[in-house]
Amino acid sequence: GRFNAKGGSKILIEPHRHPGIYIAKSKEDLLVTKNMVTGESVYGEKRITIEDNLDGKTEYRVWNPFRSKLAAAILGGIDRIHIAPGSKVLYLGAASGTTVSHVSDIVGPNGLVFAVEFSQRSGRDLLNVAKKRTNIIPIIEDARHPQKYRMIVSMVDTIFADVAQPDQARIVGINAHYYLKHRGYVVISIKANCIDSTAQPEAVFAEELMKLQREMIRPQEQLTLEPYERDHAVVVGIYRPDRKQKYD
Amino acid sequence: MLYILFEHAAGYALFLSTQSEEIGAQQQEVQQAMLQLSSFLQLVKLEGFSPFKSGTNALENMNCISEGLLHEDLKNFLEVNLSKEADFTLGVSDNKLGATIQETLGFQCSTLGAISDLIRGIRLHFHQLVEGLTKLAQDKAQLGLGHSYSRAKVKFNVNRVDNMVI
Repeated sequence: GRFNAKGGSKILIEPHRHPGIYIAKSKEDLLVTKNMVTGESVYGEKRITIEDNLDGKTEYRVWNPFRSKLAAAILGGIDRIHIAPGSKVLYLGAASGTTVSHVSDIVGPNGLVFAVEFSQRSGRDLLNVAKKRTNIIPIIEDARHPQKYRMIVSMVDTIFADVAQPDQARIVGINAHYYLKHRGYVVISIKANCIDSTAQPEAVFAEELMKLQREMIRPQEQLTLEPYERDHAVVVGIYRPDRKQKYD
Repeated sequence: MLYILFEHAAGYALFLSTQSEEIGAQQQEVQQAMLQLSSFLQLVKLEGFSPFKSGTNALENMNCISEGLLHEDLKNFLEVNLSKEADFTLGVSDNKLGATIQETLGFQCSTLGAISDLIRGIRLHFHQLVEGLTKLAQDKAQLGLGHSYSRAKVKFNVNRVDNMVI
């Protein structure tokens, strides 16, 4: 479905603290991104059209934090996501492309999203999303073997990973060694019971931070995704930092 | 002498490392120098570039590269550029492809030392290292090949159980 801001209904769009993301203010506040493909939803999400005096209509798509860990992290108050207009992002675990479509909205026409997904079933949906969004390069391949897709990936500013695999720190690490710029960033969603279903989540997260450090990734921020996800954390880190320097 | 093979959606490129002695020891130097194009150009020099003839041609080559196989196009490219050279090492991204090249062409291949860092630098500056290649053309080649490679993966998966043709 969709709802419209035409004719007196009161929805105001405000920029979010994170560039490229917006807040739709009505009865409740909604997280939204500016739709790259006007007139179309990707996965049945609601759209909001704003009549603009200057340049006609702008359309926004509602981003549900219960369906996207990145949206949950943003609403949870994450300090930096390192995904902004113009960013190049390597997205590991793209699934059907729902969150990828919002990342595509955020990075916009001057950015690129290299979207890696191994499952054939999700891959078909991802390919359809990428057909309409030319800033998404779909890669149906195993993220454990980044050399397989080396012909189609450039150096990127940020790696976002939501692979839900026990060896995900290593998967992120080898992809960083191939494709992440010096002092680029990783943003990783960690589901505790995908790593170890018997240990305490806090212990699992701490162990994952250690593993990331072994991959030359210095963790900078950790955030749990309550109330949107249980026993999930998002970790942000910087790759190959200068040893003595501080980064924000 | 150290040559570096770089495979890209636009074609194959061969670089000569201009500072090949004790490559292991200079990793820190390489890492710093590769960040700026001007200093990176002191480290490598483009020796040859062979663009793919078509999208289909690029896909055939990527299918081989992803499996560590030596496509006829790559074999020719390496022969043309390297068969007259003696006493060199060819730096590659993938051990498996390196072994195949070594077996077929007799060129000594390696992935060790500063090679992976040099390849990171080439990847960072690639569109500025090859004359006539723009950033837009580079992205477009990757986009087209990403789609065709992924479409084929979804279509011709032997393990696929849904959508059987009887």
